Amino acid sequence: MQLLARQCYYIFLLLLPLADTFAAVKLTENSTTQLQSWHLTKGDFSLKLIQRLPDQTRAFFQGRGFSKKIANDIALSCVFQAIGTNIGTIKNAESVSYSLKDWQVRVKQKIRKIKLKESWKEQWQKADVSSASKIAFTWATFPTKQRFAGAGDYGWGMISFDLPPETIFDLKVVWKQNNKLHHAWIHSLKCPEDR
Amino acid sequence: MKLKIKYSLIFLLLLFFTQYVAAEQGLTLLPNKVLAKNFNLKDMDGVTHTLTDYRGKPVIINFWASWCPPCREELPSMNKGWEKIKALGIGMIAINVGEDADTIFNFMADYPIDFQVLLDTSGNIINEWPVLGLPTTFVLDKNGYIVYRAIGGRDWSSELLLNKVKALLK
Repeated sequence: MQLLARQCYYIFLLLLPLADTFAAVKLTENSTTQLQSWHLTKGDFSLKLIQRLPDQTRAFFQGRGFSKKIANDIALSCVFQAIGTNIGTIKNAESVSYSLKDWQVRVKQKIRKIKLKESWKEQWQKADVSSASKIAFTWATFPTKQRFAGAGDYGWGMISFDLPPETIFDLKVVWKQNNKLHHAWIHSLKCPEDR
Repeated sequence: MKLKIKYSLIFLLLLFFTQYVAAEQGLTLLPNKVLAKNFNLKDMDGVTHTLTDYRGKPVIINFWASWCPPCREELPSMNKGWEKIKALGIGMIAINVGEDADTIFNFMADYPIDFQVLLDTSGNIINEWPVLGLPTTFVLDKNGYIVYRAIGGRDWSSELLLNKVKALLK
């Protein structure tokens, strides 16, 4: 018994340096709204994805001057609120950066890319979207790329996965910490339902 | 031996929980100081302000919008910070992105802002500055160079942050 305990202890010591290489993903549900959120943390990087009800998104974009049709198109495209943060300490934080172009969505074993804000804007080139509406869309959506250089730097915004409501999917999150590439999968994310 | 295992488990638990500790808030010192892009922007009364008018004093410049949740959280702390620094010869400017004076006026009834608010209605100025998300704040030295940057909101009433700005007075 004592030998087994000792072996476990040494295995534990050997694995300790690897503790930081595993990403933790925590799923929570807001008891009031019943909206789910997924929180990925690894090293100095934290990413939180929170479901947004299509009605929330419709209201936001209609309130910023978008037509009902465009606001509805965005709202039904599986929108989450994303918050990316450099959670390093002031003394030791390393820069964290990402590009959404590197991220992947997996639905039923098929891999696809995220629908970027640039793609939405291209779609509206012929539509009658005012300059003020475009500005609001640009700054209310999660930046396509960002670099959080120091402790406490964070970015937020809506991110659209271009999937129908209630679709279950996996997301490959890719980022760099101090120029070293990292990735982690968040499994079984669920697009918000249109209630 | 049991004690060793116990301590190891405690250590592992601590390691796990540190992943969930709130991020510390600092200012990023930019390795290469860049001269801030000049602007001419109108205030709420239609008076034009130029960045170069602020030469000779450190300036905090914040880009924000009324619909941006972290901006709404951050602005009251900026107002508190302003009370602490306004007599010292430090400038503070909040540049609103894409909204008109009426919208901002209504917003300020709930979120009073006592320092300078300027309007980047067309969104042209924010595109010329190194901003990728709201809010983003820059601290300029007396010569108009960007010294610090903060991406995301901060508590600007914190002495830790304000002391860095005050140091630029020397």
